This record gives sequence, C-alpha cells and structure tokens, in this order.
Amino acid sequence: MPATSATTTGPKTSRPVRKQAAPRVRNGPRGGRKREFTTRRGLLIAAFMAPAAIFVAVFTYYPMIAGSQMAFRHWDLNDLTDTSWVGLDNFHRVFSDPNWGTVLGNTGVWVIGSIVPQLVIGFALALWLRRRFRFRGVYQALIFFPWAISGFLIGILFRWMFNSEFGVVNDLLQKAGLIDEPVAWLADPHKAMIAVLIANIWYGVTFFAIMILAALQSVPDELYEAAALDGAGKARTLFQITIPYIRVTLVLTVLLRVIWIFNFPDLIFGMTGGGPNNQTHIVTTWMIKITQQGDYGKASALGLLVVAGLLLFTVFFLLATREKREVRS
Amino acid sequence: MRRRTAALALGTAAAMVLTGCSAMSPNANGTVTLNMVESLTNPSRTDLLKGLIADFEKQNPKIKVNLISPPTEQADQKIQQMLQSGSGVDALEVRDITVGPWSNNGWLYDMAKDLKGWQGWNAMTENAVKASEDAKGRTFFVPYGFYGLSLFYRKDLIKDAGFSKPPASWDQLLKQASAINDPAKRRYGYAFRGGANANSNATAIIEAYVADKVDLANGYKLKNGRTIFSAPEALDALKTYLTLFKKASPKSSVSWGYPEMVEAFSNGSTAFLLQDPEVIATVSESKSISKEQWDTAPLVAGPSGKTVQPLATAGWGIAKGSKHKAETVKLIKFLSQGKASTDFTKKNSLVPILKSATEDPFYKTGPWSSYVTMTKHPDTYLNVSQPRGVTWWSEWEQKSDADVQKMVTGKMSPKELLTGWDAYWTKKWEQEK
Repeated sequence: MPATSATTTGPKTSRPVRKQAAPRVRNGPRGGRKREFTTRRGLLIAAFMAPAAIFVAVFTYYPMIAGSQMAFRHWDLNDLTDTSWVGLDNFHRVFSDPNWGTVLGNTGVWVIGSIVPQLVIGFALALWLRRRFRFRGVYQALIFFPWAISGFLIGILFRWMFNSEFGVVNDLLQKAGLIDEPVAWLADPHKAMIAVLIANIWYGVTFFAIMILAALQSVPDELYEAAALDGAGKARTLFQITIPYIRVTLVLTVLLRVIWIFNFPDLIFGMTGGGPNNQTHIVTTWMIKITQQGDYGKASALGLLVVAGLLLFTVFFLLATREKREVRS
Repeated sequence: MRRRTAALALGTAAAMVLTGCSAMSPNANGTVTLNMVESLTNPSRTDLLKGLIADFEKQNPKIKVNLISPPTEQADQKIQQMLQSGSGVDALEVRDITVGPWSNNGWLYDMAKDLKGWQGWNAMTENAVKASEDAKGRTFFVPYGFYGLSLFYRKDLIKDAGFSKPPASWDQLLKQASAINDPAKRRYGYAFRGGANANSNATAIIEAYVADKVDLANGYKLKNGRTIFSAPEALDALKTYLTLFKKASPKSSVSWGYPEMVEAFSNGSTAFLLQDPEVIATVSESKSISKEQWDTAPLVAGPSGKTVQPLATAGWGIAKGSKHKAETVKLIKFLSQGKASTDFTKKNSLVPILKSATEDPFYKTGPWSSYVTMTKHPDTYLNVSQPRGVTWWSEWEQKSDADVQKMVTGKMSPKELLTGWDAYWTKKWEQEK
C-alpha cells in the first residue's frame, strides 16, 4: 500500500524510504517529533505507571512465580521440614487422584451448563429491555441487581432455598403439585449439580443482559427499517442484522464469562462446599480444598494447569473468532 | 517543562514506594504492641477477649495487644500463612489439632522454661496440666478450657413421645429420635453431622461401642494394639449410626457442619444434638425454644453401659518468630489464671481449667450439671486422649469426613468404611515407628 501511493508523489528510488516515515508526521505537526515522543513522553508515561507496575509485580507476578516453583516441590504445610524438589510428582498426583475425572467433568458441565442458558436468557432479556415500555427502568434495576451480590452470599442464599426441609424451592414445588415429598436437592450429587447450575444461571444472566443491551443500543434503527422494507421477519432480522452487528460484543462477553465461570468457586463453596461426596467440585473449588488440606505443592500444580488451560482456550477462541471476522469481511 | 513533570512523577512514585515500606517497619515508641490471633472466633467471644485484654493492658500500661479475629472457617489457614511468613504474630490460639503440624514446622515457641515454677500450674486441673505438655515435655500452648460432648435434648418432645427420661445409650437415642421424627411436621429426631468434622461423631459412637477395650492413652487404639475400627463392635456402632441418619435425621444433614446442627436445635426443629459445651450459651439465647424446653444429658453410652469422653482442647501459644516473647508470656499467664480464666470459660461455656471452678455453683446447675455427672463417674465416662496432635490429622479429617458422606449417601458400606479407616491408621502408625 505505501509503495502504490509513493508512485504518485515522486521518483520510485527514494520514495519508499521517505514514505515509511509518513505516519510519524501524523503524530505531530512536524515529522521530527517522533524522537521526542519515544523519549520524554515515554519516560513520563513510565514514571506515572511505575507505582502500579511495582505493585502488580510484587502482588501478582512474585506470588505467581513463587507459587509456580511450589508445584515442583514437596510443599505440605503440615510438614515443611522437607520441601525438596519432586519434579512432576505433584502433577502426577493431580492426574492420579480418584476425584480428577469427576472434577474435570463437573468443570465442563459447570462452564457449558452455565454459559449457554446465561447467553440465551440474557439475550432475550436484553432484547426485551431494549423496547420502550412503562417502568422499564425499574425492570432494568431489578434484573441487574443480582450482579451486585457476592457469589459466596448467593451460594448461602441458594443453599437455604434448596434446603430439603425448610427451603422455599420444595415448598413452592409441593404447593404447585409438582412433587409429592421434599426433594433432597443438596444431598444427592446430580441434583446438587443441577441446583448450583440454576443458582449460577440466575446470577450470570445479568451480566449478559447488561453487555448485550449496551451493544444493542448501538445498532442503528435505519438497519431495522431497511430490513422491514425488505420484508425480513423477526428471526431473519435477529440473525442477519442484530447478531452480526453485535458479534464482537458477544464474542468478548462469552470469552470473559467462560474465564470467570471457570474461575468462580465462590458460589459452589457457599452452596455445597463441593459435596456431597466431593461430587460438585470444579477445578477451582478442588484447588481450594487441597490448599485447605495444606498440600500447597499439589494445589500449585493444579493452579498451573488451570492457567495453562485458560491461556490455551483464550488463544484458540480468539484465533477462531478472528478467522471468521476475516472471512466475513 | 516535560522533563520537570517526568522528574516530579518519578519522585512521587519513589515517595509512594518508600512511604509504603516505612509504614511496614515497627514503630519503636517505648510501648510494645503484641499481635494476638484467635482461631475459633465469634462476635461475642471476640468482645469477651477484648474485655480481658483491656484488663491486661490496664495492669501493663507498656504493653498493647492488637487482637486479630479472622472468620472461623479460614482462621487456622490464615494463622498458618502468618506463621509461615515468620513475623506479625506474637500470641496465637493453638488447638490440639493444629499443635502437631505447627510445632513440627518450627513455628511455635516452647514455653516450658518460661513457665517453670509458675504458680498458675498449682491452680489448674490435672487434665489442663497434662494437655499443656507434649510427649517430649514441651509446652507449645497453655489450655484455656476443654470441649467435651454432651447430649442436648428437648424435654417437651421426648415427653410428648412417651419417654420419661433422656436417652442414656445410643440405642435409646435411636429409639427416641425415631419416635419423635416426623418430616411432615418438619420435626426431626437427631441433628446429624454429615458435613465438616463428620468423623468426630462417627468416631464417638465407635468409641462408645468399644469402650471396654479402648486404650486410654490413645482413643483410636484398642488395648491389643490394633485400631478401634478393626473391632467387630465398631461395625454394630456404624450400623446404628447409619440407621439414626436414615430414620431420624433430616436428609439435608448429609452436609451439616457445626452451624447447621446448632441452628437446627436452636430453632426447635431437631430433638437431639451432640455438641460441645459452648453451645449452651448459643442455645440459651434462642428465641424459638425456652429454657424450660431443653437440657443436656451426659454423653450416651455403648452396649457395655460405658462411653468414651474425648476431651478436645485449645489454648494460647507463642509464635517462634515473635520478638516480644517475655511480654507474650506475661499475657498468657494473665489469661490462664484467676478471674480472666474463670470469666473466659464461664462466658464462653467451656469445661474449666481451674480446680476452683468445680466448686462454682455455675457449673453445678442447669445444662452444666451433665458435665459434673460425667466428671464424678470416670469409670463410666472414660477420659481418653485422641491422637489429635499428629501431623496427618488434617488429612485424616478430610478423608474420614468424605467417607462418612459416602456411607450415608449409600456409596460406601459401613464395613468398607471401617476397613479403610483401619488400614489408614495401621499404615500411619507403622510409618511412625
């Protein structure tokens, strides 16, 4: 591209070099200001960023590095007299743990079983809230309210709601004639998993609704008017106008939510503590449980696996969605 | 101009970092400030401790005590992290289940020399003096009281069910609890412990069933050297316990820990609760059941008519990294004798460490009388030490709690559970040799 435009302004031999400097001119009134930008301004930015950078280094990167080396050592708080190098033994202990399969399966169920309903319901709510109607603000406030509550608190709240003896869920189901006797929701592993998923879906719908509503408000009305003139129905308008227009927001929201849900032990901890029989543990709650047992070596190994897994997922997800954007454009 | 701004920004950043660093260094103004961390926290207990600390500070104006009270669930983990860092803790709450790993890691200070010849020892009960010393004669903590099980029961409910007195044995408890249990009325017989620390109550019934054979020095061992889990009576015990869950307990109690059990008894929905004495204070404050409706009975016995009373304890210790050991010893002495100790055990509902307390009318009346009964009959209520100080106790708790849950949800039979527990302890003791 620069070579083509260069041919229009001067001799071919010298133009490409001079043309490469052209973007610098855009940064200031004169081309020579580029050097000033990289030194003084750069120093200024670095100076202002220094305190934050130091804090991040001390409180984020140092613990990460320190934690990483624990993954290769025998690091048990109950016996710190031996912290010798054990190589990959901690990783081996993670993979050979009888709970590993359940934990991994639960994590998949937890992420997919949460994200899909959250996206669908959140989308529907956002579409509904985009329309103008009476008391829309009140409805918006009510729908967005759960996002302001801590995950652990929601876990405790739902634990009582799903309590087999005194919980409101069984009470309502019995009054509605849907069950004859109380269901022991949190005493049965499968039902407990369903219960935590319901709680998480309720909690996370809000985030999708907020993000999608914000994106929907950027879709020009002219597009809908044009679609209506072309005779497009509601479904066609949704799939050919709305979704493509807000696609970037959808992709990023799904990516963020997958990472957050994967790393969201609070609700499960508050609601079931990973029980009964360790059957509702996901990777992060299990990691916390191992930490509570004092086995920091095994917990750190699991932590590294989580980081690696999420990094891989992020890279593949972004690559996959970028390719689609390029094909579309 | 920009150079000047950059220099100003760098200077500000440096000042912020330096200020942060200087705030971390100790402030030497002549007064010693001790950091004290408690473990079994609750708001009223923290207030009680603050009151005692205020009295100590009045007597020792050059010593200030900063009480740190992390939430109970995470407290021991927080203390571990603080101890591991090597500074920031002077006095701390040490429990019989944490003293093993913490002393093994070299985090606790041995106070034996500092407390040699201390008058306070003479005022203490034999149990308290014994609990303050480990097998090697080291003192890593001075107990502030004891936790022991008694049976909390509903007087009105057992009367309505046609029983004249509270159960004295596990069999009677099963019978009464089953008779009272009526889920349709949301009334349950027994507050079952299936969640955190579920192993403790399961072990309590096993110990009761093998009371005649148990090694008094090690509550998990029989006199023949094998584990209590290997005895045939242990299987009968667990079968009874499982029936108690199935016939007389709420289904959700499969995940009940301390708060849920105590809440269920306090709100009037369960008739029986096996708990430590500090629950007396909690239940006394209940607005759902009146003082006339409940009482405590001695710990229920096994088929031999005897039972085992595993006294759990905790106390105050000193971090090895403390720079103010002399002052901290002073604080621990203060808390472990006289009015401070009596106030703490009375208001926190603990079995006292002082001999004089046994004569106190407070401990002879109402819910406390069952503890006096147990103390008066040591041949029936055998005082046994459990191996709670071993370094693998935390691992054992995790394993055994999960196994109890598996058993009550039908994923493991009582026999499989006992075989696993027997193998676990046998292997650990072999490794220890």
